[in-house]
Amino acid sequence: MTGRLMAIAALIAFLLGIVVATFSETRIFMPALLRGAAVTLQVAGLSFLLMVAAALTAGAAKTSPFPPVRWMAGAYIEIFRGTSLLVQLFWFYFVMPEFGVTLPAMAAGVLGIGLNFGAYGAEIVRGAIQSVPKGQREAATALNIKPLHRLVRIVMPQAMIIMVPPMGNLTIEMVKATSVVSAVTLVDITYASVQQNQIHYRTVEIFMVTLVLYYCLSQLIRFSMGVLEARATRHLCTGH
Amino acid sequence: MNWDWQFTFEVVVPRLLAVVPVTIQATVLSFLLALVLGLALMLLRISPLRVISIPAGEIIEFIRGTPLLVQLFFLFFLLPEIGIVLPPLTTGIVGLGIYNAALCAEVYRAGILNVPAGQWEAAKALNLSACRTYRDIIIPQSLPPIVPALGNYFIGIFKETPLLSFLAVAELMHASKLIGSEYYRFTEAVTVAGVFFLVMSLAAAALVRFAEGRIRGRILH
Amino acid sequence: MTQPKIKFDRVTKRYGPLTVLNQICLDIDPGELVTIIGPSGSGKTTVLRVLMTLESIDDGVIYIDGEPFNKMRAGGALAPASNAHIRRLRARIGMVFQNFNLFPHMSALDNCIEAPIHSLGLARGEAVNRADELLDMVGLAGLRSRYPSQLSGGQQQRVAIARALAMQPEILLFDEPTSALDPEMVGEVLQVIRDLASAHSYTMLLVTHQMGFAREVSDRVCFFDAGQFVEQGPPQELLGSPKNERARQFLSKVLEAR
Repeated sequence: MTGRLMAIAALIAFLLGIVVATFSETRIFMPALLRGAAVTLQVAGLSFLLMVAAALTAGAAKTSPFPPVRWMAGAYIEIFRGTSLLVQLFWFYFVMPEFGVTLPAMAAGVLGIGLNFGAYGAEIVRGAIQSVPKGQREAATALNIKPLHRLVRIVMPQAMIIMVPPMGNLTIEMVKATSVVSAVTLVDITYASVQQNQIHYRTVEIFMVTLVLYYCLSQLIRFSMGVLEARATRHLCTGH
Repeated sequence: MNWDWQFTFEVVVPRLLAVVPVTIQATVLSFLLALVLGLALMLLRISPLRVISIPAGEIIEFIRGTPLLVQLFFLFFLLPEIGIVLPPLTTGIVGLGIYNAALCAEVYRAGILNVPAGQWEAAKALNLSACRTYRDIIIPQSLPPIVPALGNYFIGIFKETPLLSFLAVAELMHASKLIGSEYYRFTEAVTVAGVFFLVMSLAAAALVRFAEGRIRGRILH
Repeated sequence: MTQPKIKFDRVTKRYGPLTVLNQICLDIDPGELVTIIGPSGSGKTTVLRVLMTLESIDDGVIYIDGEPFNKMRAGGALAPASNAHIRRLRARIGMVFQNFNLFPHMSALDNCIEAPIHSLGLARGEAVNRADELLDMVGLAGLRSRYPSQLSGGQQQRVAIARALAMQPEILLFDEPTSALDPEMVGEVLQVIRDLASAHSYTMLLVTHQMGFAREVSDRVCFFDAGQFVEQGPPQELLGSPKNERARQFLSKVLEAR
């Protein structure tokens, strides 16, 4: 319930912000910030898809019975968690051309962020898969269900419920981390605020607007995850 | 791809090695700041006065809910405007410290909430003062979950230090960027920086585990 | 002489230094109901688990209908079994677990049709019809759309029995099916097993602590201890006057406790 209230408050704040932007002198920097916000949302949305795909794949691979598959997943996870996100972004944008792969800035940003957070997510997925009781796997075996079908239909749906809350927190961290994409020349809301501040010198207004927008976004994610969790667990509690 | 080993060993490695102390300094000082500031924030957060505890909770939420980089930029531009002129490194350490203080405050609080209510009641029944209750009963019992979490934040801060390169602090990432644009050779500069981070974060993780073991042996049973 | 439905031939299972099954041999005839009793931790559950391929075995061969199960014939010798071979023979076995192990994210009906549709390749409509019949048989016709968390322990175990039957097995394994139940629910589950034993031709292997029930329904009772079948015989004989010393001690303790 508090999550719902906070989300509503966040939305109201967001709308108020737009109103203020339109009718006061904040409008001199607001359009640029909103253009930046659009870039941030785009990077965040695409990175989220990549993060989830990478996390599910690597997390499931980490529980594979075949050692080489586990090792590959382990190498991916260790490399992307151990080196810094910024290093990875630079690598995708500045070093990949050396290998003959020139990526647009958006692609480099999404790849870097998606794969970096996918590595953190993989550990969440692995933990969730392993916390599904052993008896579930045994029951599936006893029913002659094939391993892949067992993973997709029996284990994963139960693991999903366990992984939603930590994945929600990771998504919030991911959205916050998109603020570094100016490293690959994208003008997101963070970089737009720096630019606007250098033009207009209105530090407090510009950065408060930016911070509040990020805050609304992270509260929105928290709220959506709450809804998702409630949906996922609706038949796990007794009742009708 | 042409990897230039001579360039790697004559330019990249020495110049990156030269700034490793800056990264370490930033990590350690921010961590200490976060520990102390986090304690203060936590004390405000658990205050029995709602006019103090609620705003403190909201501030912690806000700091946690917004990107560190934006906070760093904010400080970087704001401080000179209000007459505080600091070197970029100091600004960066303050920013890292504040951000992680909010995280630490929640860790402390979770640790203290983790102590069973019966312990408070027992302390009250024994007529211990609030100070003694905290010092002898609550804090020692709240440490087991706190210590490993703080260790993770230490490694986290280390991984956040590259953000200081946005403030032109001469740390690893910044040096790597400079080398890249000076020689227009990013491959070696960025890859070696990546290796440095990998090695140092593994070392930091080992250090944290070692420290945890020591602390566990000393305070926890 | 009829072909045994199930044959354990010197089957050995070790966990590290611990030998759980020590060269066990057991033949079970088609349609026979064999109960395994014995002290907790003696490994009697492992007998069912290796038969269901939930655990691998270190030595020996298990035969189903005279066909090697954990191995397969290759030329004159026995080679390690392929997955397809195991799946083909495993389709003849159904198992009911101590903790039910129903899939919590599926309704009672979905629990009973998931494997038939996927593993047997039945059409959905047919699978639903048969699942409904089976749920009706175990007395749960009205509860098909309930989720496991909305069912009592006894109801869950009855769904689990229906789920196992939905795979049309010839062999049914019951691993302490009433041990996790509250006392007042034991009866309803035992009644379902009793009906299965009297009205159908399943070959059944039952691990239980319910001595009265074992005496009533079993064709044969086996006393298992320290990795081996120590004594076996008709229920009246084994439960009434066991020859083996350990069996006698065990039974006197169990009967005392009642």
